[in-house]
Amino acid sequence: MRRSVALALTAIAAVLVALALGACGGSDDDNSSTGSTAESASTGSATAEAQSFDGQKVTFWIMNNGPHPVEDTEKILEPFEQETGIDVDVQLVGWDVQFDRIRNAAVSGEGPDVTQAGTTQVPFFAALGGFEDLSSRVADIGGESAYAPGIWGTSQVVGQDGVWGIPWFTEARTIYYRSDALEEAGVDPATAFTDLESMRATLEALKSVEEIGGKKIMPFGMPGKKAFDLVHNVMPFVWDEGGQELTDDNTKSAINSPEAVRGVKYIADLFPDGLADPSMLERDGTQVENQFKGGRLAVWIGGPWVLSSIDREDDTNWSDAARNNTGVAPMPKGPTGEANTFVGGSNLMMFKSSDVKDAAWELIKYLSQDEVQKEYAELLGMFPARLAPQEQLGQQSEDLAAFYEAIQTGRSYAAIPQWGQIENAYKTRFGNILDAAAGLGGEEYSEAVVQSQLDEAAKEADALLAQTAG
Amino acid sequence: MASIDTVTTSTGPAVPPDPPAQAGRARPRRGHGWRRDRFAYALIAPAVLFMVAIHLLPTIGGGVLAFKNLNTFTFSQLFGAPWAGLRNFEAILFDDANPLHNGFLTAAGNTAVYTVVTVAGVLIGGLLVALLLNRSFPGQRIVRTLMLAPWVVPSFVVAVLWGFMWQSDVGIVNKVLVDYTGLLDERPVWLLGPNSLWAIIIPSIWRGLPFCMLIFLAGLQAVPKELHEAAAIDGAGPVRRFFYITLPLLRPLIAVQLLIQVIYAAYQFTIPWIMLGTNPGEHADLLMTLIVRQSFSNNLFGFGAAASVIVMAAMALWVVVWLAAFRRDLEAQR
Repeated sequence: MRRSVALALTAIAAVLVALALGACGGSDDDNSSTGSTAESASTGSATAEAQSFDGQKVTFWIMNNGPHPVEDTEKILEPFEQETGIDVDVQLVGWDVQFDRIRNAAVSGEGPDVTQAGTTQVPFFAALGGFEDLSSRVADIGGESAYAPGIWGTSQVVGQDGVWGIPWFTEARTIYYRSDALEEAGVDPATAFTDLESMRATLEALKSVEEIGGKKIMPFGMPGKKAFDLVHNVMPFVWDEGGQELTDDNTKSAINSPEAVRGVKYIADLFPDGLADPSMLERDGTQVENQFKGGRLAVWIGGPWVLSSIDREDDTNWSDAARNNTGVAPMPKGPTGEANTFVGGSNLMMFKSSDVKDAAWELIKYLSQDEVQKEYAELLGMFPARLAPQEQLGQQSEDLAAFYEAIQTGRSYAAIPQWGQIENAYKTRFGNILDAAAGLGGEEYSEAVVQSQLDEAAKEADALLAQTAG
Repeated sequence: MASIDTVTTSTGPAVPPDPPAQAGRARPRRGHGWRRDRFAYALIAPAVLFMVAIHLLPTIGGGVLAFKNLNTFTFSQLFGAPWAGLRNFEAILFDDANPLHNGFLTAAGNTAVYTVVTVAGVLIGGLLVALLLNRSFPGQRIVRTLMLAPWVVPSFVVAVLWGFMWQSDVGIVNKVLVDYTGLLDERPVWLLGPNSLWAIIIPSIWRGLPFCMLIFLAGLQAVPKELHEAAAIDGAGPVRRFFYITLPLLRPLIAVQLLIQVIYAAYQFTIPWIMLGTNPGEHADLLMTLIVRQSFSNNLFGFGAAASVIVMAAMALWVVVWLAAFRRDLEAQR
């Protein structure tokens, strides 16, 4: 009797453990798209025209784009689903976890069919080997010539032939300013930010404007190391001075070159000179954005989504004064005569493990139509990735024209798999420099601090570049 | 972790000291092993299987990965990645040219300071508050309940809340220190530079103290009143009674708290990560934030695994030291 009880209990326990383990393993599968109906149609038949996609299911990962990511995307896809019969399962993967989730999906082969990915992530993901080379298909959407060069560049990986991510939507950084503050300081917005010197002079003049409508206002503010996009805001000034993130052959860091030091120092110098608000360094990107919206900063660097939020009544971060007096100007020109800015955004990547590649391509193709791009980008407050709709949007207002211009000349980083890690290393050091410049670091600010921090950044980047598969 | 579990369970329920009747109870005789205890084994099997599956196997896996060359190009091969021998450990511990070495030493130093200060704060503060709340006064129950409040706040929320409170221009901390009381003339910046370590230590103490206090309060209430009364008659003042009666009787509790709190503090991750971001900076980077960042953001899983093994070894060493120091207290309870 006792024996049988013991046996029964052991058996129950074994079943429970098996169930629990199964449940653990199963949680990842929720997102996979192995619709059995799809399998037959996907691999075999040759041409897309001859194919019926009716009933096929494409799983599509998106990130938090705009205020209603899933609803917006589903709305955009409604006509597509009706037309093709493809069922698109839109799943939200937050920006905070998307890197891990996409990486794991690519490595394990258990994932969606199509995913959104940040432009600077594409080379890394592509190097994992879990993504489809789309070069044989891109003729369908006009190929390279349908995109601005800086944007098309984000679909490539250095040293690896192929097209790995189709640009979906775009953003670039420009100068946001308060026209009322500029007026009070006696600066003409048209010439206020033409080059680095005039930008500096503008900020100096804005020092005299201590408050507007009883609210204290600082000439300039930017987030520090808490902002995920700190490097995007600093690199334009490095490029302006003729510096680069890496050497031309991408084998060594160039962030400690004299040009790069000058570029970083230009931004850092704004702190000890009282032009930039040191308390912004404690905040992350969104918090500083809200400080500008709230009227505490006269000049700030930001992306197009802020411009589109001006008219939104439900964005209560805007103070009336800021809402009614915000202007946008292209980034300043450097001594090289170029006005550089960072151009980023998101691309669409197709998983190699997808069973419904042709249907997945239909989805990417649809999202790459000019009209669809324009409609979607407007919902997000971003720019379309394709040239034609970009141009249309750029003609709508002077402010949007500033973004259009920025995108055409915008740059991204070296398209190598290690870039994300190098960017992290640079971010840390840029953050240290800004902290020191604001008098908050461990050491006193000087050019030597900038140089030594950038030397450290270069050392770390070189070690990351030296990673090998061996 | 396994060693902690065995130690804490062997100390029995956290109520000191056992009634004398139980003290001399004999241990069960060693019997016929397997056959006799079969039922017990069957009952314990699910737990053991579970622990092996979700705890032991990953730990061993991590140990193996520490000897692999896992980076951006190889981590997708995981266990199939090329062996690195001791290179990961060498790079972390001795290689001055490797940027990871400096990062590790900085984080280890910060973690040491963080652990010592936090644990001292939690234990001493917890004991002081427990002593205060052990007296009877009007509203005692309400105060006790309120004191427990920080304990029910999740670490994530603690980090978010204090992140706002520390903000130098609008945060409540500087408002109190500068605007309301005038204790300081200038507004200190808490979330950047050297102060940022304090920005994570203080909320950690704030959150850890209530639990510690609760345990001590339970211990204090088990201290027989007669002892205090007898000592008072003999002319011992409150201070002497504390050091000669209360403290010795609380020693087993202090020992267990010390063990748990040190390990908890050394493995702290949530508060710096949420409050200060993925890179808390050189003044507040702790071992866990460093390991998570390098492993999961930078794909240096070999480094992360090796660093984790080193931290685990350090914790094992701490458990050995702790056992040596407190063995007598723990055995006295039996």
